[in-house]
Amino acid sequence: MLEHVLVLSAYLFSIGIYGLVTSRNMVRALMCLELLLNAVNINFITFSDFFDNRQLKGNIFSIFVIAIAAAEAAIGLAN
Amino acid sequence: MDLPGSIHDFLLVSLGLVLILGGLGVVLLTNPIYSAFSLGLVLVCISLFYILSNSHFVAAAQLLIYVGAINVLILFAVMFMNGSEYSNDWNLWTVGDGITSLICTSIFISLITIISDTSWYAIIWTTRTNQILEQDLTSNADFFLPFEFISIILLVALIGAIAVARQ
Repeated sequence: MLEHVLVLSAYLFSIGIYGLVTSRNMVRALMCLELLLNAVNINFITFSDFFDNRQLKGNIFSIFVIAIAAAEAAIGLAN
Repeated sequence: MDLPGSIHDFLLVSLGLVLILGGLGVVLLTNPIYSAFSLGLVLVCISLFYILSNSHFVAAAQLLIYVGAINVLILFAVMFMNGSEYSNDWNLWTVGDGITSLICTSIFISLITIISDTSWYAIIWTTRTNQILEQDLTSNADFFLPFEFISIILLVALIGAIAVARQ
């Protein structure tokens, strides 16, 4: 169970890297960057669900990742 | 969530399939509007996956911030693009694309081997004894300072984005 979710997030991560490197358009590169950050978030949430069910420290860190991704997408799209 | 095991597994498998297809759609679709909508589908599916993983707060934050703000922002940026940028010359599968796909596949395969070679259940067994009583996300005093820094970062980023966009 845990391994399947981690494999799914690894798949999204590698797809995001491929799209980020081979995109000729800046908006498409930003979309693939969001894919990368979401894959990392899935990892955090899964580990928090399996190992840290009481204190939810992984959830808090993924909130930070969401906020940083929002700020970076706003700045990247303002250009 | 406390669902019966078979419904939980069925939902996970279906969400995983939609995620796989959506991820392929973001990268491989030529029309950028289709690609942006596929990204929206991926983000909604990830939010449903968070609900299945007992992380309701992060699921709501993901729906609000990612789907509601970032995806809308990306759609605006896509619609402001000129028609000349639509001409994705997809008949040119360059050498760089091939090398990148090889490297990404090797990264994926190495990650899969690492995941399958790790003994996760030994880690679960050792951390089971460290769990204390359940705390709320906001009442945990360890993360007070990062919360303040995050709010300052968001403020500075928004001011910077407005200053850049005014020119």
